[in-house]
Amino acid sequence: MVGAISISDRHTRIVLAGLSAVLLGTTLFSLSVGAVQIPIGDVVLLLLQKLGLFHSSEVDQTFAIVMNSIRIPRIVMTLVIGGALGISGAALQGLFRNPLVEPSIIGVSGGAATGIVLVVVFGASWGLMQPGLFHDLLLPLVAFGAGLTATMAVLRMSKQLEQTNIAILVLMGVAVNALAGAVIGLAIFYADENQLRTFMFWTLGDLGGATVEKLSIAGPLLLIASVLLLRYGCSLNALVLGEAEAFHSGVDVERTKRHIVFLSALAVGVSVSLAGIIGFVGLVIPHLIRTLFYADNRLVLPASMLGGAWLLVISDVVARTIVSPAELPIGVVTALIGSPFFIVLLLRAKNRGEF
Amino acid sequence: MLRAGNISVMIRGKQILQDVSVQVLPGRFTAVVGPNGAGKSTLIKVLAGEISSTEGSIQINANEAASMSPKAMSLVRAVLPQHTQVHFAFTAEQVVLLGRQAHAATKNENSAVVGEVMELTGTSAFRSRIYHTLSGGEKQRVQLARVLAQVWEQTLYPRYLLLDEPTSSLDIAQQDIIFSLARLACTRNIGVLAIIHDLNQAVQFADEMVFLKCGRCVCAGAPPIVFTQSNIETTFGCPVNLYHLAGRSHPFMVPSHNPLADAPSFQPCIQFNNNVINQ
Repeated sequence: MVGAISISDRHTRIVLAGLSAVLLGTTLFSLSVGAVQIPIGDVVLLLLQKLGLFHSSEVDQTFAIVMNSIRIPRIVMTLVIGGALGISGAALQGLFRNPLVEPSIIGVSGGAATGIVLVVVFGASWGLMQPGLFHDLLLPLVAFGAGLTATMAVLRMSKQLEQTNIAILVLMGVAVNALAGAVIGLAIFYADENQLRTFMFWTLGDLGGATVEKLSIAGPLLLIASVLLLRYGCSLNALVLGEAEAFHSGVDVERTKRHIVFLSALAVGVSVSLAGIIGFVGLVIPHLIRTLFYADNRLVLPASMLGGAWLLVISDVVARTIVSPAELPIGVVTALIGSPFFIVLLLRAKNRGEF
Repeated sequence: MLRAGNISVMIRGKQILQDVSVQVLPGRFTAVVGPNGAGKSTLIKVLAGEISSTEGSIQINANEAASMSPKAMSLVRAVLPQHTQVHFAFTAEQVVLLGRQAHAATKNENSAVVGEVMELTGTSAFRSRIYHTLSGGEKQRVQLARVLAQVWEQTLYPRYLLLDEPTSSLDIAQQDIIFSLARLACTRNIGVLAIIHDLNQAVQFADEMVFLKCGRCVCAGAPPIVFTQSNIETTFGCPVNLYHLAGRSHPFMVPSHNPLADAPSFQPCIQFNNNVINQ
């Protein structure tokens, strides 16, 4: 009897340890491939050196420069964004009790993209597009602010008798995204070639812009949002029974809803501001974890964080190498890898009678 | 004691409950009966702290429910709905374990409680099966195990179990199991309040009965006193006959209306404050 429960805990630990190992391996692989091939052994030495655990002068200085100035910032950004997208997808799917929800459902990506496209296309005439630090910070801030504003509006409009009505929230999200799509279409209609290219970066995602400065602000925010979301495993488990039942078993449902939506909007908003809109990670990964292992949210949340990071790292490797020296937009690769996978999953679930 | 004092509930200008008082005593089984739309489910929601009343107050063991946190409330009362959906692939045991959510207990204490209530509800045999593959009766027994697990442990204070038509889609054997287990819970210093549609079942299990109609309490008390032809006919607007069987302490009820001879008659709800009550 005691066994059944502790085994499930042990399973969780084993699955998480396995995923961490896979993620670590993929990360080292990603650090080693690129225009300059760095042997895995040197990658490990350089990382240990960076952590101050080891000193060696035997590693090629070119490798050290490539690692420190390009690959390490990029991989750190990829890891924190992938993790944040994965866990916010898992948390929102749990909250909406719907495995087909993507983080963008709460309007954050649509809002962010609208903000960006407005500034890119019409910003010049408002004198906002002077090069410099302001410009570097402007677009991320606009993306973050517009994304969060859209989500807060969605959340506010979904209030009914002092409670957030989830069905209305999802529909409001759809409406806000449709509105955002219309504004974006309109802006594209007026855009010139250059503006279109900048805009493509934002809508299809790009991990190439990682710098230590950007990461020092955005990295901690993403990590904090992700780690705070980890705490909702138990509440999300109770929500599996429905909102009233979760309340009966002691969950402050309204607070949980507000916190999860806010933290997810924060995570996705910051991700968009760093690397544009990267679709699919938040949709596919939690679903995959549930199908491959089990649906206990105390597993699904951390595993989706690891899995999201893994999918983004592997997609980034593909994006960087397949058309080298050019680079594919990361959003294209995640969707290219993710969609067929997802279709197979859906077919399998359908055939097993899970729908 | 779980006590609702002069509760009124108005939702979007509609009076759902008006001046209702109910007491759930530890160790006692209280049955709430009444026609559809009488406000029975709303009464359970108010007692559970799920919605707040427009007037009146709820006290749980002399504490004002309005000032209690969801967690504190979950330690003294559990609620079994008519029907509970489980949206992801959870096993029966994982569902029962959700009843232990708010308890500051060790893993071993939790699994001891879960084991005991699953044994009692006859659900241990399929503890590792996925919930949505179970039959209707098995599902409801798993849910009963879950809410029992929530209030099962003996504590210094009494606990309460609120059942909202828990047997509405079950066969007679399963119905009997659910209510017998609820009665068993009464022996553990738990007060039970159940909405029951079948009047004969209500009178069979209850220590107290509350008749609700159009958001108002028609009468309340021990079954021998309140289970009368006139109370039933007033509450349900349906002619009935009561029969006594030798060896049974309480009468049973059969509608006396002849469906082959008479057309049914519908009685609209009486009006309060010019608001038509029919919800």
